[in-house]
Amino acid sequence: MAIASARDPRASAGIGQRSEALAGYAFVAIPMVLFLILNIGSILYALYISVFQWNIRSGAGAFIGIQNYQNVFKDPIFIRAIQNSVYYAVVWVPLTMAVGLFLAVLVNQKLRGRTFFRAAFYFPAIASSAAVTVLWIFLAAPDGLFNGIRGALGLNPIFQLLGYGPNQNWIGDSHTALNSVILLNAWTTSGTFMLFYLASLQTIPGEVYEAAAIDGAGSWQMFWRITFPLLKPGHYFVATVAVIGALQLFDQARIAGGTTGDPANALMSVVLYLYNLAFFKFDFDRAAAVGLILFAIIFTITLIQRRLFGSAPAW
Amino acid sequence: MTDSVPPPVNTGVAQAGVAAINPKAGAVEPAVRRVGDTGAHWRRRIAYALMIGYAVLMFIPFAWSLITSFKTQADSVNLTVIPQPITTYGWQYLLERLNPSLIRLFANSFGIALAITLSNLVLASLAGYAFARLRFPGREILFLVVLATLMIPDQLRLVPVYLIFDAVGLTRGPGQYLAVIIVMAVMGTNIFLMRQYFLSIPREIEEAARIDGAGFFTTFWRVMLPLATPALSAVAILQFQGAWNAFFWPLVLLTTREFVTIPIALTFFRTEFQTNWPPLMAMVVLATIPILVLYIFFQRYFVEGIAASGVKG
Repeated sequence: MAIASARDPRASAGIGQRSEALAGYAFVAIPMVLFLILNIGSILYALYISVFQWNIRSGAGAFIGIQNYQNVFKDPIFIRAIQNSVYYAVVWVPLTMAVGLFLAVLVNQKLRGRTFFRAAFYFPAIASSAAVTVLWIFLAAPDGLFNGIRGALGLNPIFQLLGYGPNQNWIGDSHTALNSVILLNAWTTSGTFMLFYLASLQTIPGEVYEAAAIDGAGSWQMFWRITFPLLKPGHYFVATVAVIGALQLFDQARIAGGTTGDPANALMSVVLYLYNLAFFKFDFDRAAAVGLILFAIIFTITLIQRRLFGSAPAW
Repeated sequence: MTDSVPPPVNTGVAQAGVAAINPKAGAVEPAVRRVGDTGAHWRRRIAYALMIGYAVLMFIPFAWSLITSFKTQADSVNLTVIPQPITTYGWQYLLERLNPSLIRLFANSFGIALAITLSNLVLASLAGYAFARLRFPGREILFLVVLATLMIPDQLRLVPVYLIFDAVGLTRGPGQYLAVIIVMAVMGTNIFLMRQYFLSIPREIEEAARIDGAGFFTTFWRVMLPLATPALSAVAILQFQGAWNAFFWPLVLLTTREFVTIPIALTFFRTEFQTNWPPLMAMVVLATIPILVLYIFFQRYFVEGIAASGVKG
């Protein structure tokens, strides 16, 4: 260090360097203190809480090791929450990615008004999740707009075949509640994925298409043979963001299903389970364990996806 | 709001997003253009039909909430587009019968969102500048800490953050406001965005200021910050939207009923109002309007900012 600074032409400005360093520390001080306590510190604190019998008044009690983790996995409601979250991810992620990609390809064409359409498709994503969920509950109610429109369009016989009456309570029925939330979130998030895919589409050079056109490829072929495979970094990125988001399902489940994921735990997600444990059962140690389990799952999925799809795109 | 407006945020991260809304940046024309090709015409018509159809799907639910807010409770379950009769019952209900009052809810939401936005602007621009320009030992490690915060899910932090705030008395009384503001006071994404922007400003500009004898803070405040207005605007708009809509932390930390924000109030009105849809839909409209106004005026910041938020992945 000393040798390096002796060769440094700025060495004579040692005082200047020191004041620059001091300014640097001062500029980053508040965010760093917050991050070290509320982020890095939180993980360590969660680890600590999760291995004790935690009392809400007196704090750490007996050391119980991994018992909290074991107990969580013995709870049928936690298993249900995992199943729901996995089901949600398996259905919602491909559905929303497909719609997002479809919209991106649509609005990537040189069409008049496409700026408007992009803006329109993205709008539900920036509205408040609480407002949008309450709105959705109203639309999906037994006498709501959705049931009304399908009745007016004469679609009820089709729904009847699938086993749904004319006044199906989509969010209140445990068989359809989770699927209703999946549709809701596909509706809000498809615009976000459209924007991600648009960014990715811009990276494909136009010459590739020109060459394919000369070879006589149709637009359907071009999409599947050129666009889709060349979007691989985009798929990786969107899929990662989507899966992580899916495992964190909370707002919509909490608003539509209350604190216990009604009806009949159909809307119980992993995060709702954690929230319920902490604030309604005051089981802080077990809730901390669930948080760490969720973090481990998310971290593992990120690593696996990185393996499968290669490294993240530069952007 | 037109495509020809130059991109405001020209950070490395945002570039993909910028390209996305700039039609000149190598937009692809998948349809093969052959002279006299009627197929291309048809494709164009189908594309328009699909886009209009999907736009209508985006639009109907919000329009329906606005229409329902002017209906009577009995009429709210009818499919009529024009309320019969048109009534302000739902809106009056909000003004007169809410607990806490509508004014209080708006004051809570605005106050918290404003405080979080301001603190993010100040802290993220200072830190972003330091990470971009100032040399100090440990800078790279500290920046890794910033990036690491993007990977930590809020749910993992729920219990420890609550216990930390509880220990310092911020879970009781008006301290709850402070707790929400502190936990969202500076987002790693904003530091990242500001750093990228400062990196894109040529060094010569501030070196000239330094030769004139300006200190580090003066250089930052007088020279660099004015140049970073586009990035500051993006941070301000996106952060205000994020804080206005925030659900998780306000739900956990604002436990006294009169302190809650609009999204949290919506969750308990949803249970309390049951099927009294007109006031509930009026509330949905009110929760959405500030964001709609921001979106109409600053649409490009949202569309470009989304790529910057991609670093969260």
